[in-house]
Amino acid sequence: MKEYFDRIHEGLSVDDVEIIDFHAHLGPYFNMHIPVNDPEGMVRLMDRCGINKTIISTNSAFSSDPVFGNNLMLEAIKAHRGRLYGACAVNGNYPDLSLEELDRCFEADRNVVLIKIHPFLSMCKMTDPRMKHIYEYASAHKLFILAHTWLDNDPFGSLDLFETVAAEYPDIRWLMGHSGGPFAGHRAVAIAQSLPNVFLDLTISFCPARQIEFFIEQVGSERILFGTDNPFIDPRPQIGRVFLADISKSDMVNIVGGNARRHIQFN
Amino acid sequence: MAKLSYFDCNCSIGRAPYPYLHDISDVTGLKREMAAAGIEEALVYHTLARDCAPPLGNSLLDEAIRGVQGLYPVWVVLPHHTREMPAPACLLKDLESSGVKAVRMYPTKDFHSFSMAEWNSGELLAALEERRVPLMLDIEIVWWESIVTIMQNHPRLPLIATNVSYRHNRFTYPLFDRFPNLYVETSRYFGAGIYEDVVRRFGSRPILFGTNMPRFTGTAAISMLTYADIPRKDKEAIAGENLRNLLKGAFS
Repeated sequence: MKEYFDRIHEGLSVDDVEIIDFHAHLGPYFNMHIPVNDPEGMVRLMDRCGINKTIISTNSAFSSDPVFGNNLMLEAIKAHRGRLYGACAVNGNYPDLSLEELDRCFEADRNVVLIKIHPFLSMCKMTDPRMKHIYEYASAHKLFILAHTWLDNDPFGSLDLFETVAAEYPDIRWLMGHSGGPFAGHRAVAIAQSLPNVFLDLTISFCPARQIEFFIEQVGSERILFGTDNPFIDPRPQIGRVFLADISKSDMVNIVGGNARRHIQFN
Repeated sequence: MAKLSYFDCNCSIGRAPYPYLHDISDVTGLKREMAAAGIEEALVYHTLARDCAPPLGNSLLDEAIRGVQGLYPVWVVLPHHTREMPAPACLLKDLESSGVKAVRMYPTKDFHSFSMAEWNSGELLAALEERRVPLMLDIEIVWWESIVTIMQNHPRLPLIATNVSYRHNRFTYPLFDRFPNLYVETSRYFGAGIYEDVVRRFGSRPILFGTNMPRFTGTAAISMLTYADIPRKDKEAIAGENLRNLLKGAFS
């Protein structure tokens, strides 16, 4: 958008539109050094580019222990009211524990606003029967599930598996994490076109040229949510992607925060 | 802050066998993406030089970008043993006379099926080192162990590792001080707080601005840099001055 060209190039944060990051994390990760991964540092990066609110699940909840990770998440959102919100991490390999975590986290803090699953890291297929009670919980509470998806060869979270469970549980709003990755754009929009409860996620480090324009053209901006992977990935590149994209201001407003506002009650 | 002057070290023209979404493959498409991001200059290679035949792709590149303002050629090269390319001394003359600014190599059996080891690429690497011609290697093809061996054998060779991601700090940090001619490009260099951390520890010297346009958008690398909490002079260095200085030394 020409309107933001100078602002981005001058390094001035976006301050005239609410930006809500729907896909972020917290803390260290086993196979990489993350210079800034603490809640205070994350908020500092948010401030630097103009992100108002961020929904986090912790890296450790998926690489190691979901209870440990959810505890970190609860501490962080308590310490940063109005800036950080929670995604309860669950793991189908621990079906009973996952239900306990859902009850515990959603009761502990009203700023826990969605569920995050990572089929690839947990090595538990999205269609695994042990996921059933998690999906039933999400359906009953009409929650969002953010599912990591990556290309069609992910044996645990491929887009075929994602489509199967998204169709089976229409009361869940499904956010297709990374929209299946850089090669999956056409398949991702086909799924979103056929299932009205599916939303596309912009979070990605491989940033395909004109992906945002393509998604809007195919599914409309109301079905796209802004995300960054902060601090797995720095949030600042995603601001340039959206605000320098060749899109209308109303589409931009929907993507960066309007849609999140319509679907989530932020306290 | 006035707009920075960008010189992108990692652009291409030509079709890819596995496109993401759009067929952006010619000079017009690349220039449109550059304009959208606000990038003025770029080093460019041809995908046919990587995916079909280096001499053919290099020749198509020269034809496509000749006279186009702001685009400078990067050739894909091979060791000369099969005579698909001239011997290093002749190749260096061809590079210089064609205005080539840097070269890329695609070893391993999945690409051009040769080795970066001395018995195979040593003569070519020595010739590039002698004339200080920057060599660009994709880190997903030539891993860090090989990079270190090359830098040990050819310490004056400017080596640009492309496609270096947010996961590579544990490899790169021990190398930045040890190898002053090693550089990383930024198309996927998106670790949280990475610019601030690297600049504080090592300075901005090792970082060269790159986008991988038109496969990627250039806009992400732009805002990663413009929003960095580092001094203006370091932003200028990363945006273009480091590369401009590197190219001034080439063919010296």
